[in-house]
Amino acid sequence: MLYAIQLQIRVIATLVLRETRMTFGTSHIGYLWAIFQPMVSISFLVVLFYLIGRKSPYGTSLALFFSTAVLTLELYNKMSVSLMRAFTSNKSLLTYPMIKETDTLFARAVLIGLTFVIINTVYYGGLWSVGLAQLPVHPEWLCLAFALTLALGFGIGTLNAIIYQRAQTWQHIEKLFARPLFFLSGVFYIPSKLPPEATAVLKWNPILHLVELTREAFFAGYESDILNIWYPLSLALTLSAIGLLWERISRKRRV
Amino acid sequence: MIELDSVSKRYSVSGVNKTILDDVSFVFESGRNIAVMGHNGAGKSTIMRMVAGIELPSVGQIRRDEKVSWPMGFASGFNGTMTGVENVRFVARIYGESSDRVLADVQEFAELGASLDLPIATYSSGMKARLAFGLSLAINFNSYLIDEITAVGDRRFKKKSEARLKDKLRDSRVIMISHSEKTIRDYCDCGVLIHGAKLYYYDAIDGLIRDYRTFC
Repeated sequence: MLYAIQLQIRVIATLVLRETRMTFGTSHIGYLWAIFQPMVSISFLVVLFYLIGRKSPYGTSLALFFSTAVLTLELYNKMSVSLMRAFTSNKSLLTYPMIKETDTLFARAVLIGLTFVIINTVYYGGLWSVGLAQLPVHPEWLCLAFALTLALGFGIGTLNAIIYQRAQTWQHIEKLFARPLFFLSGVFYIPSKLPPEATAVLKWNPILHLVELTREAFFAGYESDILNIWYPLSLALTLSAIGLLWERISRKRRV
Repeated sequence: MIELDSVSKRYSVSGVNKTILDDVSFVFESGRNIAVMGHNGAGKSTIMRMVAGIELPSVGQIRRDEKVSWPMGFASGFNGTMTGVENVRFVARIYGESSDRVLADVQEFAELGASLDLPIATYSSGMKARLAFGLSLAINFNSYLIDEITAVGDRRFKKKSEARLKDKLRDSRVIMISHSEKTIRDYCDCGVLIHGAKLYYYDAIDGLIRDYRTFC
């Protein structure tokens, strides 16, 4: 039992190293690029709102308000999309019997999680150091929101990987669902201030709950009418369980 | 010991069904050098890949309590965009061996020189085979799986790899597919015959070869 756990840790740690090399190449530029990417959308929104003379929907900092949503969305998107190809691009690894397909999922998830811990630290820390953000009033909620986003991305990503392995057109269909998330996740508005007809629909989007949780973590007095932590939590756990179970059951039927 | 427990393997490719193994239970005892024989298309390579753990059986379980190699010289586990060194270190790490020691062994054996620092995609198939062969010798497997290939490279290199494999087999055993009776007699002390999706075991090579000649 102990040996099995050691083996599992060794395999995943080795795969994480390999994934790092595959994702970012040999240079450090690759890693920097990953950190810069979310800045493009955040800066774009800040400049746009500044030009049309709008104030931040909440608090004084446009950059912080957008960051709470954009960084959450980026983490979710990155997880769900890069896990989609975890099986198909790692087929050669099945030569080694101790590596199971699910290990490639876990390795990618660990790498993306670690990358986003750095990205979040750089962004929130950077904004704080230039006076554009305050420290979160509930840092533990920030961690919870991060963990839930990771878990939700993992659940959807696992299902994506299984479906994509069977039908590659899934990558296009998945985009149809993922594209509108930018508008449905409260990036540039406060969901609670929308008319009830709108929130009745929007609250089905689990990412929106996670964005709201991130904002409650940062802003004292930000109170969301729609936030229900149990919704993204149960969805993340259910989808991950279904994904891993489905993979396990169908493992023998794949060639 | 490698144990096949009620193993069946079926393929279904575009409507054509094929049964390779039908409810086979068999133990490849530790330390015995085992030949695997059968006619073309009987499923020898598939069984080898299942024993290696590359493929899963359709039904049943395969248990191993020893370190089993991938079929020797088989280079499909490499990643083309990573360099030879990176691939070697990766494989050494997942098998829990010192990556420096394994790399030094491979460098010495495969004679790839500076090419080891290039992505594998730039290698010729001969270079890949030499790297894969050297890597499986560098990792201390208990069982070496051989699918026809006992040596790779040109004449001189073939001699060297054969000698190195023989050397290795003093501590490890071999499970080997071959159509050559001479090679089988050279390496193995018992064997199995695959016939009609079943495995038949022979405690001595003579009986195996007699039945192989009769049925295949």
